[in-house]
Amino acid sequence: MPNDAPPQPIHSAKDALDALAGILGGALPAPVAATEDPAAALLNDPDLASAVTGRLRGAGSGAGNDTLCRWLYDAFRANVPELQLAVLRFVPTLAGVYMCRAVSRKPLAGFEAVLLALYAHAVAQRGAGQAETVSLPNLANPSPYHDAKVPPKGKPADLDVAVLSPPLEPHGTMRATRRARIVGAVLELYHGKLAHMPLSSKMDFCEFCVAWAGTQSKLDGADRPRLPDAAAAAGAEKWRRVPLPWELFQPVVRIVAHCLLGPTRSDELKAQAARAAECLYWRAAETVDAPALLATRSLVRLSQMVEEPIPEPSFPSGAIENMAELEAMKANILSTKN
Amino acid sequence: MAAAAAEWDSGSEAGPTGDRPSAAASPVKGNAALPEESDAGASASGSSEAKVDDGNIQEAESSLREGLSLNYEEARALLGRLEYQRGNVEAALRVFDGIDLQAAIQRFQPSLSEKTLSKRSNKLRSDSSNSGSQHAASLVLEAIYLKSMSLQKLGKAMEAAKQCKSVLDAVESIFQCGIPGVMVEQKLQETVSKSVELLPELWKQAGAYQEALASYRRALLSQWNLDDECCTRIQKRFAVFLLYGGVEVSPPSLGSQTEGSFVPRNNLEEAILLLMILLKKWFLGKTHWDSSVMEHLTFALSLCGQTSVLAKHLEEVLPGIYPRTERWYSLALCYFAASHNEVALNLLKKSLNKNESPNDIMALLLAAKICSSSYPLASEGVDYARRAVKDAESSDGHLKSVALHVLGSCLAKKSRVASSDHQRSLLQTEALKSLNEAISLDRRNPELIFDMGIEYAEQRNLHAALKCAKEFIDATGGSVSKGWRLLSLVLSAQQRYSEAEVVTDAALDETAKWEQGPLLRIRAKLKIAQSLPMEAVEAYRTLLALVQAQRKAYGSIKNGAEEDEDKVSEFEVWQGLANLYSSLSYWRDAEICLQKAKALKTYSATTDHAEGNLHEVREKIQDALAAYFNALSMEVEHVPSKVSIGALLAKKGPKYLPVVRCFLSDALRLEPTNRMAWFYLGKVHKHDGRLADAADCFQAASMLEDSDPVESFRSL
Repeated sequence: MPNDAPPQPIHSAKDALDALAGILGGALPAPVAATEDPAAALLNDPDLASAVTGRLRGAGSGAGNDTLCRWLYDAFRANVPELQLAVLRFVPTLAGVYMCRAVSRKPLAGFEAVLLALYAHAVAQRGAGQAETVSLPNLANPSPYHDAKVPPKGKPADLDVAVLSPPLEPHGTMRATRRARIVGAVLELYHGKLAHMPLSSKMDFCEFCVAWAGTQSKLDGADRPRLPDAAAAAGAEKWRRVPLPWELFQPVVRIVAHCLLGPTRSDELKAQAARAAECLYWRAAETVDAPALLATRSLVRLSQMVEEPIPEPSFPSGAIENMAELEAMKANILSTKN
Repeated sequence: MAAAAAEWDSGSEAGPTGDRPSAAASPVKGNAALPEESDAGASASGSSEAKVDDGNIQEAESSLREGLSLNYEEARALLGRLEYQRGNVEAALRVFDGIDLQAAIQRFQPSLSEKTLSKRSNKLRSDSSNSGSQHAASLVLEAIYLKSMSLQKLGKAMEAAKQCKSVLDAVESIFQCGIPGVMVEQKLQETVSKSVELLPELWKQAGAYQEALASYRRALLSQWNLDDECCTRIQKRFAVFLLYGGVEVSPPSLGSQTEGSFVPRNNLEEAILLLMILLKKWFLGKTHWDSSVMEHLTFALSLCGQTSVLAKHLEEVLPGIYPRTERWYSLALCYFAASHNEVALNLLKKSLNKNESPNDIMALLLAAKICSSSYPLASEGVDYARRAVKDAESSDGHLKSVALHVLGSCLAKKSRVASSDHQRSLLQTEALKSLNEAISLDRRNPELIFDMGIEYAEQRNLHAALKCAKEFIDATGGSVSKGWRLLSLVLSAQQRYSEAEVVTDAALDETAKWEQGPLLRIRAKLKIAQSLPMEAVEAYRTLLALVQAQRKAYGSIKNGAEEDEDKVSEFEVWQGLANLYSSLSYWRDAEICLQKAKALKTYSATTDHAEGNLHEVREKIQDALAAYFNALSMEVEHVPSKVSIGALLAKKGPKYLPVVRCFLSDALRLEPTNRMAWFYLGKVHKHDGRLADAADCFQAASMLEDSDPVESFRSL
């Protein structure tokens, strides 16, 4: 973590907002400056968010002396839940840029400090040595949603226990071989708060997924790929493919699935998520990785299915048939009225 | 009155029809009265003022009330419905706004719930007043439901949800014991079902996820007398919401559940439970097939690695749903993910049969991939991979590099078990060619570079291997442990031990304590290679401490780390120490270590071989031979034992030489880079007078000695 003492300790969302204004250098967007609820503004304001993500993506960000990383770190450690949400909101960009650059082994102490703080929070939340497990139901046992013949002697059938996320070990430094696990755990943390995250944060995530996968969606045209992109040299930094072991792949897929099939009504997000899912599928195909193939194949298929609409109220057909008659009568009444 | 309205609705309303006098006359009156109102609404919504003429509504309402002797709420309900039906949502809303649901409920409540109870005791008695008030209730509740729908259509989800919820609250307060199945009017039931189904969707649209969750559970856990299809839809939507909602939910709390019942503890468990129930319903013929259910379940189960459970569910799907080749492929994926490679391959064989779909590239790739992990199957794998390459060429280039990659892996694997030198070198060349071609198509896949590096290393092209290892580390940012190990081993094969140590130390820096095992083992072996036995012992000691700590930490977890290929077993450490001590002639220490190793794994060729070694150096030839043969009977292809037997027998005299040759060539067939085997074979040739052959062998042994890694590349 950066060593020199912070200019002003962050204790509240208001502090955080003030500190951020100093870091971003310019005036805050007007609605943010005047806000009553600084935490909500930090979480949701699009202009503020794009200013921050712009800085995170900028060249040279994430170094040990990056004041913005410092701010994210302090804001998260202030232990104000609303403020923590506002920091988590930037996880997609943070993780996205970090993973892409870490492969080139640039010094990224600023990013790492924030990610490690988030990871430490995840470890504390989970409890040391605790795996996140799932007991698979056995339909031979009754459940709230179904009845079953109560097994003789009332002995329940055995359940399979699956590990969704292995135990998290505490890590004080970002070792290369643990990078995927740490970022994966941070993404799990983000996943837990997805319902609070604004759309643009999820859009960022899907964008980085496509870059991470490093494959082409067939939607983009099959011929364009493979050749080094000439545009990349001219334009902004090109986000590159990163190693995606299961410990990173799995949380990524879970978040993409939320963007694709969760209760959002943004078609833009769904389209972007569908693209990400497809890229991840091709990435899984590259190494013929069976669980990854199964999960992403299902997502791709689900993205192509049409959601069943909520049934409309039904009206007896007799009444509809009577419509003509009703219209006639209506005309009748109208004329008598006049 | 209400009965009349119902009749006007459908004309086919079943159940105890009201025998009120007004009923018979109603259709005409109803028809006459209604259009007037609809006109009011239509003209209002169509007018330039876009304002409902309240005077018109009231007028129509009063004429309805007079004509049908409806009360205020009922009349409004009828009018609103008509507007809704005509698509005049805003007008309908204004009409509905005048309905006071609470007042209406209070009117229905006593009569209905009493009657409900009396009905229970006396089923045969038909009660007209009951059915009458049911109709009235039905009308008003439907109105509120339509109000909710109207609000939703106007984008006011939150208000819509509140209205919809009030319908359900009303139903619950009217029918306090749940909705009895047999005696509820059809229309009322329909309104209830639709509202139950609508409510969670409205909460979701309003962004009120906790309420959505509660209303899903309320829908499924209360008695609404829902039909199967409706219940199925709700269960499915709930499962989807739980799976993808991104909402942290508290598990359902159900104190009243019977013992032994399964109560889900988190989203995923609840979602999986619902999906399994949905599948079961389909098996029982209660609902129609919905392929999305299986996809959701596939997603959920593959995320938590339970693909063998998934396979069971896929197998239960009745024929006719999936094309069989697709089912086989999906099952193969499941079984392969669960490490049941043989089952997976058998399924794929069926699918790739010439009468099924022999050119399915994904199936071919999977089959080849499975084969590439096993020596006996490598040859078969080459065949699949070649077909995949051909396919990829004819269809799209997307997968060609993948196909070439597995082809290279299969060829490399096959070359390891080739029966002749000639064949081996052919296969090796071909393997490199495929891998090279794959890389030229896809330069960004580090796995390809790694496999290429291994292949070069196996062929002792150490310079190229070194380049690959470095490239791999660069491409992965040093995040993959096996890359570091490859680099270290290649350096050790080049006898650059101190550099190898630097690499190992760098790798240890990048590796968390818990995963340092394989690196520490390499470090110990590097120390041995540099003739630094005491430091090697120290390295082994560190490794032992780590391994024992791991055993303590993970020992209790069933599916824990023991089968993890990246973990060093304690057995291996004792074995290594035993070898080290015996090379130092510390017999007693070596023996103790071997005992420890044996205690962990009773039957092991490696231990027996080490034991034989101990006997041999102490000149107990018979015991040594016995131990070596034991090792061979444990593991038929144990190369070190074959070499040791060969070496030992060679000392016994010329008459054994043919046997010795047999053992040694056998060893070399299995492991062509075994320099000791070459060395002893050279001695045999020399003894037999075939000096040129002997020289060749010695040369091979010496060259191999100069390129021997401290640990086999195959351990990677």
